[in-house]
Amino acid sequence: MLTRREFLGSSAAAAMALSLKAMAAGKEPVRVAIVTTIYKYLSHGQHIGDRFLIGYPIDGEWHQPNVKVVSLYVDQKPEGDLSGARAQEFGFKVYPTIAEALCCGGKTLACDAVLIVGEHGDYPSNDKGQKLYPRYEFFEQCVTVFKQSGRSVPIYNDKHLSYSFEKARAMVQTSHEMGFPMLGGSSIPVTFRLPDVEIPIGAHIEDAVMVGEGGSDAMDFHALEGLQCMVERRQGGESGVKAVQLLTGDAVWKALDSGKISKELLSAALSRSDTPLGLSDLDGRVQDLVGDGVLPGLAKNPGAYLIEYRDGLNATMLMLDGAVKDFNFAAKVQGAGNISTQFLLTPIPNVTYSACLVQKIEEMFLTGRAPYPIERTLLTSGMLESCLESKKQNSVRLETPALSVTYRTV
Amino acid sequence: MPKQKLAAVVTVYRKHSHAQHIVDRFLDGYGWHGEYHHPPFDLLGMYVDQVGTDDLSKEREQRHPSMKIYPTIEGALTLGTGKLAVDGVIFVGEHGNYPKTEKGQVQYPRYQFFRQIVEVYRKSGRSVPLFNDKHLSWNWEWAKEMYDTAREMNFAFMAGSSLPVTWRIPQYEMPLGARMREAVCVCYGGVDSYDFHGLESIQCMVERRKGGESGVKWLQGFEGDSFWKALAEGVWSKDLMQAALCRSHTLTSPREGFNDMMPNVEQMKQIVKDPVAYTYEHHDGLRCTMMLMNGLVRDFNFAARLDNPSKVVSTQLYLPMPDGRTTLATFFSPLANNMEKLYLTGKSPYPIERTLLTTGLTAAGVDSLHAKGARLETPHLAIAYKAPKESTFERG
Repeated sequence: MLTRREFLGSSAAAAMALSLKAMAAGKEPVRVAIVTTIYKYLSHGQHIGDRFLIGYPIDGEWHQPNVKVVSLYVDQKPEGDLSGARAQEFGFKVYPTIAEALCCGGKTLACDAVLIVGEHGDYPSNDKGQKLYPRYEFFEQCVTVFKQSGRSVPIYNDKHLSYSFEKARAMVQTSHEMGFPMLGGSSIPVTFRLPDVEIPIGAHIEDAVMVGEGGSDAMDFHALEGLQCMVERRQGGESGVKAVQLLTGDAVWKALDSGKISKELLSAALSRSDTPLGLSDLDGRVQDLVGDGVLPGLAKNPGAYLIEYRDGLNATMLMLDGAVKDFNFAAKVQGAGNISTQFLLTPIPNVTYSACLVQKIEEMFLTGRAPYPIERTLLTSGMLESCLESKKQNSVRLETPALSVTYRTV
Repeated sequence: MPKQKLAAVVTVYRKHSHAQHIVDRFLDGYGWHGEYHHPPFDLLGMYVDQVGTDDLSKEREQRHPSMKIYPTIEGALTLGTGKLAVDGVIFVGEHGNYPKTEKGQVQYPRYQFFRQIVEVYRKSGRSVPLFNDKHLSWNWEWAKEMYDTAREMNFAFMAGSSLPVTWRIPQYEMPLGARMREAVCVCYGGVDSYDFHGLESIQCMVERRKGGESGVKWLQGFEGDSFWKALAEGVWSKDLMQAALCRSHTLTSPREGFNDMMPNVEQMKQIVKDPVAYTYEHHDGLRCTMMLMNGLVRDFNFAARLDNPSKVVSTQLYLPMPDGRTTLATFFSPLANNMEKLYLTGKSPYPIERTLLTTGLTAAGVDSLHAKGARLETPHLAIAYKAPKESTFERG
């Protein structure tokens, strides 16, 4: 077995928790403005935002970040809205515009960091099935305040940057030009892994398969981030994506039968699943989902997101709704065999995986440095949009010259 | 080389009974270390004590015709030949309808079945490795007799819970030789059932301390108001309890609208209507407390205070229950894998003394609660043993 993050939770995370404490010691709290689509129970806005208000469990402690939420903007107030109640209890104001929230009602930027959570809420979808969350628009409004104030602060953007790669690219470009740190993406790259494995930096990855479930375009993004946070560690670093293709229906099973998608790696990934459906659900029995040939009967609407990287690596993300209910990964690594793991999405309502994410957000807010490159999420944003475009065009293989996003992981 | 032959002796074989989880893995295999693993054994005979309308053993027999169900334990072990015909026995005496004692213990017939199993061994002049699921017996004297019998007859005897062998989040291993002052486990479930799992969670950690296991001097049970009083009086450390709770993935929020919030003690009192704790002291002075906090958590969380250097360590022992969270109780996979080692090597991967001790602690806990929380001296639990150098929890 390759490098194990043996004591990730107990030593690396402990070290981080300690250093977050040390960094915060004797310092004024970081003033945070929250910009979110909605703030109701179990929306991302609530469960991420609340952790800055009431703290969160990390490394065996209830950690209270040295952060003061100073303002909130909510785009929609559906039934169950909690924004007003939170503002009253925790002593901040809900402002009617993003600019006012960032300026706390004044004329210039009056916060030290911005948390944008543009997930959940009632927004239209486009013809690719993408929900048109106004993340780019929220970001632009923040940047306008930065420009007017002559000062920029770190921004966290939840999930993908935008449904549109062009917009996502503009966001990243702006953050680089203006010199403020930016973090984005899913909890999947930072949640617990079972087992706690990591692909060694510089590994020669021959093939990779990620399995997810839960539908598009919400959960497929998480699965693409799971894939990307593993394969980006390969030899030469991330080279970008040359082409994508989204297969659906029988074409997925044909691709497995023909060897275009590795059955061996799919089997390795599924060996990590705690949630096979079908007969396991019926009478508790364990199943060899691949070997028994039961996948086509279980996953009625499969999707295979085929990703061709510019350096020659081909990887696949499979959405297998109906077959499993968790997120599992396997890769073939030269000299090390197959490496496989489950990205643990812990139970609702606690969703403690978001505490792992908030620790990373807090780290950026305190240090002014993003713990991992925003280019990962730029690339996954683009991969998702291009895959959905492929699906719209009857699963055509799409060349993606725009996705030549290169970066090196830390 | 021909495959080793196995027989299974179980109380009941229904969906999500321990027998279904364990025996199914020997029949159908299981996902293991990145592949689908088929244990290299032929499971040929099975005895099922109770067959209800929800029985699955017949379906398993039909689908695996080489496995036959016999009407007696002797039949299953001898495959109808009258002489022990297998190389190992899987014994799962958990679940099923059995009467309770006046103290509320379910009288699973583990001792009685064990005696029938060893009777076959004796008659055949040959003993084979035996796995006993969970604790040895609800009755301490019987448990001790089972232990002594296995020693006398010199067969490999393995028992216990999945907790010591399951994954940990984070992947924390107690250093061998650690100096330790206090340990707790905050978990959930009932008395004489999940309390045993909580005790095994603690024991598999603390047995690695400096000097090894020395046994337990006394135990005191607390429930209801006496639990909260003991917490307030510092019978166990509040900070260790809090550290364990911070490893939970299922902490109940004290307030509506908040999904992940740490309750204070007053709020805990509202959430946990019937808390239970067993506090006990080992012969070398180590204090341990197992807490059942139903309503507050649905997982098993451990914390300990180490000395030199002084620090609190904590982890969750991962039990992905098929209660809506998962469909497979995958913690049975590391247990099955350790059972395979028992049958292949003829040696238990971890000492039976661990489970002898936790069996005695479970019974002492029940006794103390029944005696209205009296502190009970436990001279019979002066069980000393050394933990294996390699901890056997799952990391692969």
